Amino acid sequence: MSGCALNEKEFFSCCQLLLQQSEHLRDGWSWEAVQGSEEGYLRKTVLRSVLADCYDAQKQTETASDSVSPVSAHPIQELQQQERTQPVVATCFHSDGIIGDDGDEDDAVCVLSEGSSHVLQYEYHILYSCSYSAPVLYFRAFTLEGRSLTLEDVWSSVHPNFRHCLQNSPLTAITQQEHPLLGQPFFMLHPCRTEEFMRPVLQEAQEQPRPVNYVLLWLSVVGPVVGLDVPLKYCTQLHLSSLQHSASDLMSSTVETGVRRFARKTCK
Amino acid sequence: IMADDKDVLRDVWFGRIPTCFTLNQDEVTEREAEAYYLLLPRVSYLTLVTDKVKKHFLKVMRTEDVEEMWFEYEGTPLKWHYPIGVLFDLHASNSVLPWSITVHFKNFPDRDLLHCPSSSVIEAHFMSSIKEADALKHKSQVVNDMQKKDHKQLWMGLQNDKFDQFWAMNRKLMEYPTEEGGFRYIPFRIYQAMSDRPFIQKLFRPVSPEGNAYTLGDLLKEMYPAAITNDGEQKRYQVVIHGIEPLLETPLQWLSEHLSHPDNFLHICVVPTPSD
Repeated sequence: MSGCALNEKEFFSCCQLLLQQSEHLRDGWSWEAVQGSEEGYLRKTVLRSVLADCYDAQKQTETASDSVSPVSAHPIQELQQQERTQPVVATCFHSDGIIGDDGDEDDAVCVLSEGSSHVLQYEYHILYSCSYSAPVLYFRAFTLEGRSLTLEDVWSSVHPNFRHCLQNSPLTAITQQEHPLLGQPFFMLHPCRTEEFMRPVLQEAQEQPRPVNYVLLWLSVVGPVVGLDVPLKYCTQLHLSSLQHSASDLMSSTVETGVRRFARKTCK
Repeated sequence: IMADDKDVLRDVWFGRIPTCFTLNQDEVTEREAEAYYLLLPRVSYLTLVTDKVKKHFLKVMRTEDVEEMWFEYEGTPLKWHYPIGVLFDLHASNSVLPWSITVHFKNFPDRDLLHCPSSSVIEAHFMSSIKEADALKHKSQVVNDMQKKDHKQLWMGLQNDKFDQFWAMNRKLMEYPTEEGGFRYIPFRIYQAMSDRPFIQKLFRPVSPEGNAYTLGDLLKEMYPAAITNDGEQKRYQVVIHGIEPLLETPLQWLSEHLSHPDNFLHICVVPTPSD
């Protein structure tokens, strides 16, 4: 790996590794190739249910209140609006209908609450940007009736901790862009700061005597910002032999560092 | 005789396309809408230069029938985030002038077109292109050394059609260390009308390891060989930049410095040769 930039061949290898692990974990990633070349992207579709009440409330308020985050990969999300005091649920399940397994700690819980729920289909793509030598996250979302979610709808699904930072920094903001391979509108997390926030994360990871999957590490930092979780099991799959520090410790500490630095960079 | 290089810059900047805007027949109007004629700058963006078009058609419509305006040519929604000249060369280069564009105020095709709620979205898109181009040319060093007001000057220059104001700043983005012989990589996009893929954009150096200047032909051979006509074959495609077909022997570095759009990208359209 040349410094903290990623070349296209490395991107491809990292993706294939991630793919193998995803297949093992049934996490739903697939590789979409371009015309039988090595060029392509990773893709994953996730179905999420959102409560109608909080979703519509989102649409009605001009400024998204920090407390509402109706779409989340976490099974239980507490709404802090005045009207609601009981917990509500956003269940996260994969497109093949199986309830998502986000790790032993987070059992997906099914608690039915008042009000009907909307089901949204989120589609995530990971592409390679040759301009920035970095992976880029593209995503879009639809209702089951086929209505595209707007940028405002999408902002409401961004974790409140990140929303403030991203809104103030246009270069790391979520913007609507044309998908470079499909030509259709997607939302994108801008890649120009990726090398900056990946550098310390990579350096820390590289101090440990083990290989690092740049794409996996990057995804675990940026994914949660837009509701895409990367289960810790990805990391434990890499290392079957016991080591001084458990791989998941390393993962969570580097992810935590990465997230802190990402937030710091975007809040400049 | 070759025109001065500076003249080329002016010719590119001031290129215009005579356009006729007609309201979509299915729009609900209070009386018949007349067509609206406008000279569109090749280097600008549809949503930046069509306020007059919108005003003209709103005169015959009720506000409740008006949503986000969008444009279409012969059934194809026009991507406002592409420079106008690129849209024309790609879709209508061999058709009769004026270019006939249909205006819509309903049924925005959100699977095909990006939304454009304000000019700040156009500005963000334009600046994003400039920054990406500089990432390729100079590892972002030149654009990052500029101040916010310098970035603003580039945008204002485009928005207000001010060639001198724009180029006073843009010339910095066109410099390179003499010993390198050119930019690190050339910012380019190749568009083909009949393709699922919107464009081809990859890394390509302007100078070979031996120090020879690569040409437009070299770029195409690498990125889109079908565009090149082999000896004895009939010419199937035209390679169009700003409405002209540059010689394939033209050095790519020169093209990048002189025929790029204000967004600092070389936009190249490959279109089928018209069959007379």
